[in-house]
Amino acid sequence: VIKEATKMDLNTIYPCGRVNRRGFLHQFGGGFFGAAMGAVWAQDGKIKDAIYGPHFQPKAKSVIFLFMCGGVSHIDTFDPKDNKWAGKLIDAIGFGDNVAEMRRPVIPILRTFTKYGQSGIPVSDWFPNVGGVIDEFAVVRSMWCNEGNHFPAVIETTTGHRGRQFDHPTLGAWVSYALGTANQNLPTFVNMGRASSPVQLTGGYLGATVSATPFQPGETPIPNLYPPKSSSPAERERQMRVLEEMNREFRERYAINSDIAARSQAYELAARMQLHAPEVVDFSKEPEHVKALYGIGEKETDAFGKQLLLARRLAENHVRFIQICHAGGGNGAWDAHGDMKTHEPLCRAVDKPIAGLIRDLKQRGMLDSTLVVFGSEFGRSPWSQNTTGRDHNPKGYTVLLAGGGVKGGTIHGATDDVGYKAVDHPHYYSDLHATVLHQMGLDYKKMEFNVFGRTMRLVEEGQGPIAEILT
Amino acid sequence: VLKPVRRPPVPASVTRSANPIDAFIAAQYKTKGLRPAAPADKLTLLRRVYLDLIGIPPSPAEQEAFLKDESPDSYEKVVDRLLASEQHGVRYARHWLDVLRYADADDGMTAAAGIHYWRDWVIHALNRDLPYDQFVRAQLTGYRTTERTQMSATGYRSRVERRTDDLFALGLLARGDSIREGKNTQELPIMAVETVSTAFMGMTVGCAKCHDHMYDPISQHDFYAMKALFDPLVIRKVTLATPEQMMAQSETLDEAQKQRAAAEVPLNALVAPYKKKLYDDRVAMLPADVRAIILKPERARSTAEQKIADDYFPVLRIDAEKIEEVMPPDVLKQYKQFQQAVNQAGGSGGRRGGLPVFSMVEVDRVRELEKSYILTSGDPERPEKDKPVEPGWPFAPSGIDFRDGRIEAFSDWLTAPENPLFARVAVNRLWQWHFGEGLQKTSSDFGNLGGAPSNQPLLDWLASELVARNFSMKQLHRLMVTSDTYKLASQADAGVAAAGMKADPQNQFLWHYRVERLDAETVWDSILSASGNLDATVGGPSFSVGNAGRRGGRTAPSIAAAANRRGAYMLRGYSTNSDVTPQFLQVFDADDGRAPCPMRTQTVTAPQGLFMMNSDEIETASTKFAERLSKESGGDFGAAVDLGYRLTFSRPPSPAERDEALTYIENDPARLKGFAWLLFNLDEFIYVQ
Repeated sequence: VIKEATKMDLNTIYPCGRVNRRGFLHQFGGGFFGAAMGAVWAQDGKIKDAIYGPHFQPKAKSVIFLFMCGGVSHIDTFDPKDNKWAGKLIDAIGFGDNVAEMRRPVIPILRTFTKYGQSGIPVSDWFPNVGGVIDEFAVVRSMWCNEGNHFPAVIETTTGHRGRQFDHPTLGAWVSYALGTANQNLPTFVNMGRASSPVQLTGGYLGATVSATPFQPGETPIPNLYPPKSSSPAERERQMRVLEEMNREFRERYAINSDIAARSQAYELAARMQLHAPEVVDFSKEPEHVKALYGIGEKETDAFGKQLLLARRLAENHVRFIQICHAGGGNGAWDAHGDMKTHEPLCRAVDKPIAGLIRDLKQRGMLDSTLVVFGSEFGRSPWSQNTTGRDHNPKGYTVLLAGGGVKGGTIHGATDDVGYKAVDHPHYYSDLHATVLHQMGLDYKKMEFNVFGRTMRLVEEGQGPIAEILT
Repeated sequence: VLKPVRRPPVPASVTRSANPIDAFIAAQYKTKGLRPAAPADKLTLLRRVYLDLIGIPPSPAEQEAFLKDESPDSYEKVVDRLLASEQHGVRYARHWLDVLRYADADDGMTAAAGIHYWRDWVIHALNRDLPYDQFVRAQLTGYRTTERTQMSATGYRSRVERRTDDLFALGLLARGDSIREGKNTQELPIMAVETVSTAFMGMTVGCAKCHDHMYDPISQHDFYAMKALFDPLVIRKVTLATPEQMMAQSETLDEAQKQRAAAEVPLNALVAPYKKKLYDDRVAMLPADVRAIILKPERARSTAEQKIADDYFPVLRIDAEKIEEVMPPDVLKQYKQFQQAVNQAGGSGGRRGGLPVFSMVEVDRVRELEKSYILTSGDPERPEKDKPVEPGWPFAPSGIDFRDGRIEAFSDWLTAPENPLFARVAVNRLWQWHFGEGLQKTSSDFGNLGGAPSNQPLLDWLASELVARNFSMKQLHRLMVTSDTYKLASQADAGVAAAGMKADPQNQFLWHYRVERLDAETVWDSILSASGNLDATVGGPSFSVGNAGRRGGRTAPSIAAAANRRGAYMLRGYSTNSDVTPQFLQVFDADDGRAPCPMRTQTVTAPQGLFMMNSDEIETASTKFAERLSKESGGDFGAAVDLGYRLTFSRPPSPAERDEALTYIENDPARLKGFAWLLFNLDEFIYVQ
């Protein structure tokens, strides 16, 4: 059957998919900043693609997404279980992606849990500081995904799709694409910390213009941002002036060529970045008590604390999606097969900074408009690999959300009484995506993009936003 | 799509050019009411054709020689020289490899080691002007001709031996094989269908993997029939060495293994009790029935029991770190020493011990007997057993003769001169690479979605010409780049431009030459070429820039040390857990080889600007460029400015530009580096006009 192909944009169809469908995106060199100027234009009524938002009044202006690479053990942190199963064999599955049915020994949870705040949500002794602000958090204890190994699960949880059949973009890229930039001087989607997979940064078929820009605290927040040390600022300034002069003739000759017009915009953008990025990474005006909140200056928390302080500053500067990957590289340091004790230093490294971020956002009145998410690709199994560590568990695990219109002090959903499967209000990971989109003023059903005659979506399955945790 | 190519008559008396291309184009000007721009000036044309045919700008001496040569065929001589240059193959191989999805690494790709020999083969094939039909046939079957069997004097038929180097052509198919999480993903035949159908047939059969094609008459059945052509293929690793090298390597290996074995004795003795204790502890934790199975000797286990034992293997696996944890400190110290001794003994490397390898494909006779099925969502583990498929392909004639082999039958049909798709798709690609856009814009999709070609008679004439010229790609290149159409200026006089912009703003009908940003590799080569630092050696493994692709592992690509080679050799590929394609390539829109890429994106972005302004690469190149300018100008700044322009823009500066440059330099030799930097950052540097 041959159907009429009338609605297709003929400029768009290359199977590598990374070709920008829309000429205007590159013609205006919006590039880099994920300047899907489309969003701006949509408001002008110039384009009508349904994906461009906001689709309704957003609750959150920015997302700070904390991704713990390797898999946090939910039952040792935010989903306590009594140890009645400890030492017993239970029906389980094989190692990694081996789904053979097996019986494996449950190992005891060695943590002590304390009920914190007015909500009395129990938190383990690995997260005392987060416990102190737990009334701001919704604890969703019933997430699940399909993939049981790291990279497939990372791809599934960041792109909403399994496998690598298509070049699916990551959540932050979809948000950037749909909302465009709110700050012409900074990227729309940034990533800090080493990711588990380059996929976590990809714009996929939405284009490189909406992929994550690597960002870091310190002297060079963005690759190639500053001139080499050997060059003098005065000289560079002079060069920039001369460059403008010497370019003039060529630019006039091809004045009608939008690509060449975009060149000067791209250089201007680069220059604005050089100007504004240092202000964002300059912590010198941050009071000591604020830095102390994040654990900056303390050995264990300094690195992550600086990233979170920078995240707050980026949010203040209207960066839409700030993703922070913790302990990435290889399978991720949270991958505690051998011994659960390896979680301890990692928890210490993130606990205080996360609590600090929440307190700091709150004292600035930013928490209501900043959505903070804490999670990982999957949780950990109740049983062990016949060691003192835990295996992967995609069937039931926990994510935390705070701010940005989230109902704090809430527990939602539950795993079974050993902590293996989500049984009460189970949520496929896409529900978390739908929730984030919703708080950003985006309707997940409108997050569609046509690639090669096929409609791609961020959210294909699930039930949509998790209404129970939203105000 | 399948309308046979009928050679259209060349339109008469529409142009003075003897080149039929110009006649077809001029005829279209007439019907569209267009006037072409004037011819480009000599030096603009020279830079254009150099960057196009070899990807490296002309040297100042070559510029001078061309200006001085006033013979009527001065340009044709340049074209012939460039087509004869071995750099031509490097440049055009890169175009082809985008289409054929070359990658040095791709997430468990088994053919990673040695895959660059396929690239080398493509470069050599193009340089020797291997006819296009043979070029394709070799990559599909390993044989460039259709003569695959020979007859003995006594009437016995046997297989003809293949040309040795044509085994490298099979990299195209081998590249699709991968092992992830310890399992073969069975992607080879699927990738083969996707690549082959888009690259050589101009059809996007890939959509039919999961459903009947929505826009073209290609059914899901067609996809899996075509997949069945490739289903029997398996990978075979070939060691590339002389017999002497193989035997010498074997001796070295024996020696190392002997030393290693000796060093392992005390290590194993030390470890054994700890390992046994850990193992016994874990076995004790097993369910009783499983424990009973594990305690049986392997040969006493039934098949079902062996499966259970295998499933529990990871549970019982004792990792080195676990052993270290339970050792007392003094034992641990001793252990580390023993371990060091073992490491020093070597001998742990693969059995090939560093000899180069290449992965080719061959037909597995057992797999050939297995049935092929439609797969649910293309998942190899979900065959629809009620839907068996026979080998075939879209538009295949009935009663195909498979006696020479499945792929052979397909490739004979594909590459036959009568196949209208084959030549049309090929000439359209060549046209795209010279003119920026194909006559058929979607060069890998001649289906219903691709739209109509901008000049069907010209496309058909070129297709028939390719066949008439025995599929010589170089002759077609020559025909295209010596046309008046190719030689047009990229800007027109005000009057012509205004009319042209009105009638054909997209320049679909080629009333002027395009202005286009150089692709990533040409930017790279131009930078190194200006700074006098380009290593143009042909062939060899890929190189990396920055940290990309440095992770080791079984499927790691071979990486060359030198980082000043041509951009065509820059590493590309994909991995789920590390960067493989260097930032430079990503920033300048080069594809990572995961999907066949018929045409690259052209973005203009701030990171490109940041690279040109601030990167280490530009810092180094500016320094070298300045040294070169200073040395070759003998300290004369005017001469340095002149040379700088010639090395970057392939033209001398205008008097105004010279003044501007000299005003900037202010007789300060240290400013030459700043001047070099300016040249790299000027728009003209990364555009072709």
